[in-house]
Amino acid sequence: MPEIKVTPLGAGQDVGRSCILVSIAGKNVMLDCGMHMGYNDDRRFPDFSYITQNGRLTDFLDCVIISHFHLDHCGALPYFSEMVGYDGPIYMTHPTKAICPILLEDYRKITVDKKGETNFFTSQMIKDCMKKVVAVHLHQTVQVDEELEIKAYYAGHVLGAAMFQIKVGCESVVYTGDYNMTPDRHLGAAWIDKCRPDLLITESTYATTIRDSKRCRERDFLKKVHETVERGGKVLIPVFALGRAQELCILLETFWERMNLKAPIYFSTGLTEKANHYYKLFITWTNQKIRKTFVQRNMFEFKHIKAFDRAFADNPGPMVVFATPGMLHAGQSLQIFRKWAGNEKNMVIMPGYCVQGTVGHKILSGQRKLEMEGRQILEVKMQVEYMSFSAHADAKGIMQLIRQAEPSNVLLVHGEAKKMEFLKQKIEQEF
Amino acid sequence: YRDLHTFELQAPTRLIEWARGNRVCVAGYGQSDGNEILQLIPPPTLLTKETQGLCPERDFKVECGGFSERPVYSLKYVPDTSLLVTSGPPDSSLQVWQVSAEDSDVIKSVSTIATENGTGQSWAKIATISARAPWVLHGSRLDRVQITEVESRKNVYTAASRGSEELSSLAFLDCNTLLLCCATGRLCLADIRQPQSLVEAMSVPSAPWSEQWCMGTRHGAQGLEPSSQPVARLSSRGLLTLTDLRKTSEFLALAKAKVPSPGSGAEFLCVSWAPVLEGYLAVSGFDGTVHVYDTQSWDSSGREAEPIFVHKGHTFGGAGGSRDPPLVTVHTWHLQKPRTLLSAGSDGSLHVWDWVQPCGKC
Repeated sequence: MPEIKVTPLGAGQDVGRSCILVSIAGKNVMLDCGMHMGYNDDRRFPDFSYITQNGRLTDFLDCVIISHFHLDHCGALPYFSEMVGYDGPIYMTHPTKAICPILLEDYRKITVDKKGETNFFTSQMIKDCMKKVVAVHLHQTVQVDEELEIKAYYAGHVLGAAMFQIKVGCESVVYTGDYNMTPDRHLGAAWIDKCRPDLLITESTYATTIRDSKRCRERDFLKKVHETVERGGKVLIPVFALGRAQELCILLETFWERMNLKAPIYFSTGLTEKANHYYKLFITWTNQKIRKTFVQRNMFEFKHIKAFDRAFADNPGPMVVFATPGMLHAGQSLQIFRKWAGNEKNMVIMPGYCVQGTVGHKILSGQRKLEMEGRQILEVKMQVEYMSFSAHADAKGIMQLIRQAEPSNVLLVHGEAKKMEFLKQKIEQEF
Repeated sequence: YRDLHTFELQAPTRLIEWARGNRVCVAGYGQSDGNEILQLIPPPTLLTKETQGLCPERDFKVECGGFSERPVYSLKYVPDTSLLVTSGPPDSSLQVWQVSAEDSDVIKSVSTIATENGTGQSWAKIATISARAPWVLHGSRLDRVQITEVESRKNVYTAASRGSEELSSLAFLDCNTLLLCCATGRLCLADIRQPQSLVEAMSVPSAPWSEQWCMGTRHGAQGLEPSSQPVARLSSRGLLTLTDLRKTSEFLALAKAKVPSPGSGAEFLCVSWAPVLEGYLAVSGFDGTVHVYDTQSWDSSGREAEPIFVHKGHTFGGAGGSRDPPLVTVHTWHLQKPRTLLSAGSDGSLHVWDWVQPCGKC
């Protein structure tokens, strides 16, 4: 039985951040380097002192692997590489490499500019950090050094998300990051071959959920949008740009067509260009359906969805607008929000998690009076809704993955051990 | 609909039981080993009085689970304890389990309540009550009805024998009165203080072909005499009889549910009274639908009744035309929200739905 050591790095029982150290046959690999989104102080960073006590990080660690661009998996990377100090290779997939810096910069802007924090990484640090990144392709065996090799597998979940196999000689570990076993409108399902790792490390936070069907969530989303538009209101959907926005567009377009609706739907142009660019680059990362449509036409050539112009926000009458950024913390989506917030006929639908300190987070927490620049108070009368389409594997999904990979051992990473006994027994029973 | 949520369980269930703290319990009934008993925490949308629509937390959470070697056909929580009791083939014995959600998320098998001449009988129907001690009423046949104290497994009462018909369900009306319903439709009342006596209620109309019956009793109505609530009986042909237990010599009402005939057998027949809406009941087990009826306008004519609402969600489940459409295996009403029901299908689907009262009826 090979000795493989796994050490989650962080303060206390952490369900909010991923950063795992794996020691396998003398090699040390760090899996993900996430920020804990709930804390405002140093607790948000993983505790690297555990490894620094062994000497310099660059000497100790053979490589760092980042599974996907969500901040709870990569948010602490610039801090780690530039402020704590690491010069070794950082591996991630191509889409992750392209998207990470955008999210990190956004996050930095909010934390430093909006909240005035000082112990935080700078824009230059993000750039320097990304210079250390080596992008990998799916199923490509990457030789980190003579003994250590890694391979990325498709994980679904978000664009570019991957599960990684780490192999040294005949010992191997598979780390899943976040994954999804059910395909959605724009991403496929996670897949791995029968690689039979000695250890499979998977997060089991969502193992206990029985998710309601996508059809229902979509139906409710469309109902809300429809109701608002019918009464003459405007719907603002702040989006990050990739993936989810795509899905929602396709959803609305189909609905508009079926119901013969006339209200305009807009997509902010900056978004369109960026998204198109990324999709062209990463078309292999989306699912079959999208690839087929892309071949036939431009991603954003929708019949009912047009490019947005700032002036349209003042047009009377109903409309739906997709605008960046996703957490309403700056830019166009915030501008539009300020114009529309005072009217109760309007609605804003947040399609994802919002970092603390952003307007998005505040209104989702129930705040209805916001302090804007120049001490101006904005009263929020518009309806605030939240709709999460992001998917994680549930118990069924975890079982499916185990069936595919056939590991000898499974490690469930979760906050409370006693809440995992049932899943543990379930896995033991079947395998 | 005002609201509709659909979920998919890993394995289909034929029971949905409410537990303390708004928990819901489901369990697998597959032939092979490894059936799971799952105690679920419903999404917050279900727990609040007002419908929230796009609520962030829309999922069920498995709070704890257990593994049963046999298929679980019936499950009842034992009030005032952390125990629950299950039953299922191949015999009429009961399995006792311990739920301790705070310490561990595993529902542990604790003991078995064996029954005399247990083998060869079909599975036991069960009912529990919070009486002087935690009791479970159980039996597979009319001549095998008994009450056992759950923890000590001591027999407390055995009903007098009046025939060996198979039972379809039984219930406690109060801590002294039992209601037994046979598959033939025969309804019997028993007072446990007088073990020898068994009072019979009006039989159901006899039919040229055999049909199976089940019953639904109303509970949860505060301060009302349990025996003043009519008992509903449903047949596999769709006939519904309502009986007032104080006047068992005649029917309160007789109607026919609007269901396909011939039905799909009696395995999943289910009829239940709404805990909040007076006179409303729900019926399922014939196909992939659940019907809601308002019985207040019913008479004894046996006419076909028009449902107030039909939930068709389960018929749209399935993976495609090649498979048979799923059957609704069980349904239950939400205990506080007047128009919310939960229903499960043989394809593993679990629906939570809230129907809108049609216009003209307030």
